[in-house]
Amino acid sequence: MTDHDLPENLRYLIEEFNRSGLRELHIRKGDFEVLLSHADTAIRAPRRQASAVPSKVEAPTPARKVAEAAPAKGGSFTRNAPEGTIVISAPNLGTFYRSPKPGTPPFVEVGQQIAAGAEMCLIEVMKLFTTVKCEVAGTVEAVLVEDGSMVEAGQPLFAVREA
Amino acid sequence: MPIKRLFVANRGEIALRIVRAAQALNIETVVAVSDADRDSAAAALADRAIVIGPAAAAKSYLDPRLIVHAARESGCDGLHPGYGFLSERAILPRLCEQHGIAFVGPRPDVIDSLGDKLQARALAGAAGVPLVPGSENIASPADARREGDRIGYPVLLKAAAGGGGRGMVIANNGDEAEAGFQRASSEAQAAFGDGTMFMERFVPEARHVEVQLMGDGKGKVLHFGERDCSVQRRYQKLIEEAPCAAMSDELRARLHQSAVDLAASVNYRNAGTAEFLFDVRRQEFYFIEVNARIQVEHPVSEMISGFDLVQEQLRIAGGADLSVGQDDIVLSGHAIECRINAEDAERDFAPSPGRITRWDAPSGEGIRLDSHMTEGAMIPPFYDSMVGKLIAHGKDRAEAIDRLVGAIDDFVIEGVPTTLGLQRAIATHPDFVANNIHTRWLEQVLLPRFGKDAA
Repeated sequence: MTDHDLPENLRYLIEEFNRSGLRELHIRKGDFEVLLSHADTAIRAPRRQASAVPSKVEAPTPARKVAEAAPAKGGSFTRNAPEGTIVISAPNLGTFYRSPKPGTPPFVEVGQQIAAGAEMCLIEVMKLFTTVKCEVAGTVEAVLVEDGSMVEAGQPLFAVREA
Repeated sequence: MPIKRLFVANRGEIALRIVRAAQALNIETVVAVSDADRDSAAAALADRAIVIGPAAAAKSYLDPRLIVHAARESGCDGLHPGYGFLSERAILPRLCEQHGIAFVGPRPDVIDSLGDKLQARALAGAAGVPLVPGSENIASPADARREGDRIGYPVLLKAAAGGGGRGMVIANNGDEAEAGFQRASSEAQAAFGDGTMFMERFVPEARHVEVQLMGDGKGKVLHFGERDCSVQRRYQKLIEEAPCAAMSDELRARLHQSAVDLAASVNYRNAGTAEFLFDVRRQEFYFIEVNARIQVEHPVSEMISGFDLVQEQLRIAGGADLSVGQDDIVLSGHAIECRINAEDAERDFAPSPGRITRWDAPSGEGIRLDSHMTEGAMIPPFYDSMVGKLIAHGKDRAEAIDRLVGAIDDFVIEGVPTTLGLQRAIATHPDFVANNIHTRWLEQVLLPRFGKDAA
């Protein structure tokens, strides 16, 4: 990349970075170096500034509500919740099941109105099942993980728009 | 079958060490992290990091079900437990077996039997390994005198039902044995409802020695020499070295053979360490216990043998035979490791977690640093406070000490207090340099004066 292209390339890079779900992107080529990060403090900040390009470019902060509910430093989670929604996260690692038993309808569907305390899904660890509930009343806006897949502790599972 | 994808069920420097060893063998790695360790060096280096639970170890690193679930669901066919945490809990290899995952360690039944002190002692005795001379139950003052005379003074009287130091008495002669029995037995009766005592030979100035073992699970066991870990504080090792320079070659050979015999008698699989008490004055050693895992101080054995023990662990767990024979293991020179903890020596070694603001690590000939720390890294308050292990190798003990002290002097860590200063005080102390130390030397000799002499 030449100096002439830099601003345009950077803008493109930031957009792609925001879309990607990556938490940090560090590029070094010759004396050019850029670090994009969603973390509050960039931990792997370069020790030596190699050029005049800012070493850290702040990404636009997503909607407050979602930002609070999502894990602070991100994990390997890829799907983002719609803005203004509340995120229901996995209390622990395990396998995510949308239905109480195989072949039965899911606990909740997208668009469904739910009462506070509604059962949302099961998280299974070695045949031990934990029921995840939603503490607020509202509408299910999105299911963020595939049925039957492994979820990590703190991984967003559902987006709910509070009533 | 060789392991293709390894699950690392640990954190800190050992997680990083295991990931590197796996990568050297072209094994993919998945590292389990708690919420507090998302940004760890091991997580960054591994192919994948999985958040298994919150910061509290009980709900993350200490939950075998979460660990094995994550290993299975991430497609791992091997699991390395590291040290500490679940490494010596038989439930972990049991769950691994149930789910077709190769456990990098001994079989669960061997972990169980070696983990039980009485069973381990019985196994050692059966394999002809020397035990601390001791008695059966003692029921009267006259018994105490007779047994004391037979074992040789000083002796330690212990309550059969006891623990935590209560009901323990040291006796230096027959009269003290009788009087000590009266006192300790009634104390034990009051404390535990059982006044039964037993007796062991007491070694006032013992050294801690241990033998690094590696077994194929079929009865073949190799040793990688011994280590001397006599610099301890509250039973925590601070400095470990290899070989034990205070031991004669003849005794060393017997020590190695004892350790190998014990491990071979249970068809020991993978890495382990047999620990012994070394009575320097009598030139005898007595079995303490077996640690059925890789140990913190394994690097000193690697430095003098030239073998990568963690890679060997991974090969064996993948079904390979031991890659070498005993004659191929040639030990050379001397290696010393010091553990660097984020602790405040001025506040009774209180753990002092925090962010590392400066980290200038030493390097040079014979210097090795095993650490997961970098500038800006966080030491979370939930786990042990070790920030790294500094290892120096030289042609002999004097050169190893020189290199260690030089490396300590070059090491700059800022942001948290560390034990580097204490390690320097130990490594330059005349008693340590003269190798005139024992397991209580640090507490009895160095620490009472540490920080008080003009700096």
